[in-house]
Amino acid sequence: MMRLDIRWWPWGVLTLLSLVLVMFFVFYPLGVLFANSVRGEGGEWSLASFAQLASDEDYRAAFRNSLVLGATVTALSIGVGVPFAYMVARYDFPLKNLVAILPILTIVIPEIIVGQSWLLVFGNNGLVTNAFAALGIELPSFYGWTGMIFSMTLVYYTYIYLGVLAALRGFDGQLEEAGLSLGTPPLTTRLRVLVPVVLPAVLVNALVVFTLVVGNFAISMLLGSRVPLLSVMTYNTFVSEMGGSPMLQSAMSMISIAIVAVVLFLQKRVIERKMYTMTQGRAPAAERVGSWQAMAFTGAVGIVVVLSMLPLLVVFLAAFTETSGPVMKWGQWSIGSLARVLGNSPEPIWNSLKFASMATVIGVIFAVLSSYLIIKKKNLLTQWLDYLLVLPLTISGTVLGIALIQSFNAGWIVLAGTSAIMVLCYTVRRLPFAVRNASSTLFNIPDSIEEASISLGVSPLMTLFKVVLPAMRASIASAAILMWLTTVSELSASIVVYTGGLETMPIAIFRQVDGGRLGLASAYGAALVTVILLPIVVAVKVFRIQLFSSR
Amino acid sequence: MASITLDKLVKQFAGQTVLQSLSLHVPDGAFFTLLGPSGCGKTTLLRCIAGFHEPDAGRILFDRDDVTTTPAHRRDIGMVFQDYALFPDKSAFDNVAYGLRARGVRGDEMRRRVGDALDKVGLHALASRLPAQMSGGQRQRVALARALVIRPRVLLMDEPLSNLDAKMRLQMRDVILDLVREANITTVFVTHDQEEALAMSDQIALMERGAVAQLGSPEALYATPDNAYVADFIGSANVLPVTVTSVDAGGRLRYRFAGCEFDGTPGDGVDRGEARLIARPEELSLTAASPSVANGIEGKVLRRQYLGAKTAYRIAIADAAELRVELPSGHAAGGIQTGAQVQVLIPERSRVVAA
Repeated sequence: MMRLDIRWWPWGVLTLLSLVLVMFFVFYPLGVLFANSVRGEGGEWSLASFAQLASDEDYRAAFRNSLVLGATVTALSIGVGVPFAYMVARYDFPLKNLVAILPILTIVIPEIIVGQSWLLVFGNNGLVTNAFAALGIELPSFYGWTGMIFSMTLVYYTYIYLGVLAALRGFDGQLEEAGLSLGTPPLTTRLRVLVPVVLPAVLVNALVVFTLVVGNFAISMLLGSRVPLLSVMTYNTFVSEMGGSPMLQSAMSMISIAIVAVVLFLQKRVIERKMYTMTQGRAPAAERVGSWQAMAFTGAVGIVVVLSMLPLLVVFLAAFTETSGPVMKWGQWSIGSLARVLGNSPEPIWNSLKFASMATVIGVIFAVLSSYLIIKKKNLLTQWLDYLLVLPLTISGTVLGIALIQSFNAGWIVLAGTSAIMVLCYTVRRLPFAVRNASSTLFNIPDSIEEASISLGVSPLMTLFKVVLPAMRASIASAAILMWLTTVSELSASIVVYTGGLETMPIAIFRQVDGGRLGLASAYGAALVTVILLPIVVAVKVFRIQLFSSR
Repeated sequence: MASITLDKLVKQFAGQTVLQSLSLHVPDGAFFTLLGPSGCGKTTLLRCIAGFHEPDAGRILFDRDDVTTTPAHRRDIGMVFQDYALFPDKSAFDNVAYGLRARGVRGDEMRRRVGDALDKVGLHALASRLPAQMSGGQRQRVALARALVIRPRVLLMDEPLSNLDAKMRLQMRDVILDLVREANITTVFVTHDQEEALAMSDQIALMERGAVAQLGSPEALYATPDNAYVADFIGSANVLPVTVTSVDAGGRLRYRFAGCEFDGTPGDGVDRGEARLIARPEELSLTAASPSVANGIEGKVLRRQYLGAKTAYRIAIADAAELRVELPSGHAAGGIQTGAQVQVLIPERSRVVAA
């Protein structure tokens, strides 16, 4: 039924409008980036920048390091996530309900806060570092591989954990019983039956983690200090090429995109070949475990939850700690840092609130409209809209920022230096999530309720407002909150496009950490966490919105 | 209220013809059923009448108004959907009030009409419930009240009973009939359930591959099917390939099967040559194997099935054919057991139709 049989008013016009916007703000910047990457100094066609990168020893090292970091963190995330998911799915033990909070924590706590707080714990002058130093023990440096691998694993294992947990919960317990009834011993049965079910979930999410690690900016920048990495090097090249010809940054960006493209291709292969659909998903009941096992499981869950929550705690502790220059005077309380941030330079806070709320409003409206068109008004054009809207997912924040700044810093639309480019970069970066959120609800709204409304005499356009939107208001609210908390903590794209006066909280945190002023960074961190948590608490407590249920 | 006239409707999807030049007339106030197996085009036809599909050719008239290109929301129809299609975030009251509000009916009049409509379907007490808090039967009643409260020109129902359990389905048949009779509204009812169609309709259009196979009253469709498809779809029928040897003007016909000659009744347009005998299981009767009688055919009982009020027999006859015979259980032939040799009597009134 994919005919180009389009009624122009109103859906055709809206589809076209959405397509034009997405083409202009997503597709066109990538085109500019590509064009700049294959251009020489004089603007002629040339692969010189790629050749230069290939011969650059530092760049080759960064390429290698990024892949090694990606592989290591992915492997460790699997090592933590899979057993954790299995434990939660199949066993029952005290305090098990605590794990429900884990996925929320990962979404809520910005990476920059995670990086910063582990610095406060294990960095030079960190809480633990100082405590050990007082005992005369010198801890190995946290900067570099150790810190990055540790912090990133703590952030990214949840992707594996959630994916595998979903697979295990959708698993039909009767399969295992069937295996047993056919005479295979329990352990063999479990492996034979479970592995094919869990493996695709592991692989698919492992590839996601890999791309996230390779594209990671915040933690790499804060903790990676002496280890050259692709994302950091791309950003630094952007900073040093500022004003000059953007050849190298474009070439680096294209290579980052290529890495993601390869991974996505593999992922698609995995999904197509390995995904089984369980016809009947009745997961086996969780098994109660004995005392020593229960203690071990509870302990494991406890450690993971504490480690995941620690950044929140540390950031508030540090915000209220007395500082003198770069030195944190742990144990001495003070509101000095907070007072300086709120009193002297509260601008980043206002900027963050302003940009994130605008991006949230625009993003949610656009996401609802476009997912409505994609799901309910299928045709060739909406199909294209669907493809284009996924594009930002394939680009790391740094690359997106570079693409936007290259496209809109000159010419007939100049956005660079204005609030608009911040809002644009927030919106584009997080749009795919909002679209996915809105789509999942729209799928569950039957077409017949729209037809019922039309049969009762209400026009199709008014039906959207009177029937469809009210029916999906819960998911609009959760999309808005998701959009809000992911934009307000956005760093990697906004740090590329921002200029003086447009600084946001994550950027301020980054700059204060960079300048060694951990107290001020923590004050901004505390403010950031507050504006993230407040709407969530309000949503859940006051409006009783089921957040994250559609994941 | 309005009659509906469909004039040579054509509808294609992706090159596939779903309706082939279909013409029908639904009289004012009739309860009209579109019956047929899935994929026969009955729902497509209903959606064309509703305005959710625009036909590729042909016209749709409500009385004398040509509504072919009128958008659905201006056709003044009431529609009841298979999945009820209640607005999930609105109470029963607000669901029923929706169409009235769209028509600018406000205040006391709106409340009175919604109240009346909910009364009629026996749901006054549940006015403030959300759809999720109601049973399937209750939701269907709300959907009915919602469609009828706006007093539409025509009422369209798309398999409204198929999501209900068997008992509720029977009950809802009466609810629907009572309501549409009282409102005296032209109703087009889509179903694949022939029993439902027979029990409820003034007229039935039995559809086959986008065309009307036969149009008529329930009695006409059951008693005088035009062809084997109709006979087989409505009720059950024995269909045998026969050869017509003579047709006379007085409405009598002789046909040959397995070397014997039988008397029968000609269907429309049947002529000498290949044809189909249609015999309802309850038209046939059984008698002893000898002596042979007129219109009797020899056979052997393959299985006797006791079904309570009636008893069914599977009889093997010549040419590897089988007949199904149903007799009232108290009938004299009730003692015939599996394996017995019998004669099956095919009455003269059994119809022979064109092959």
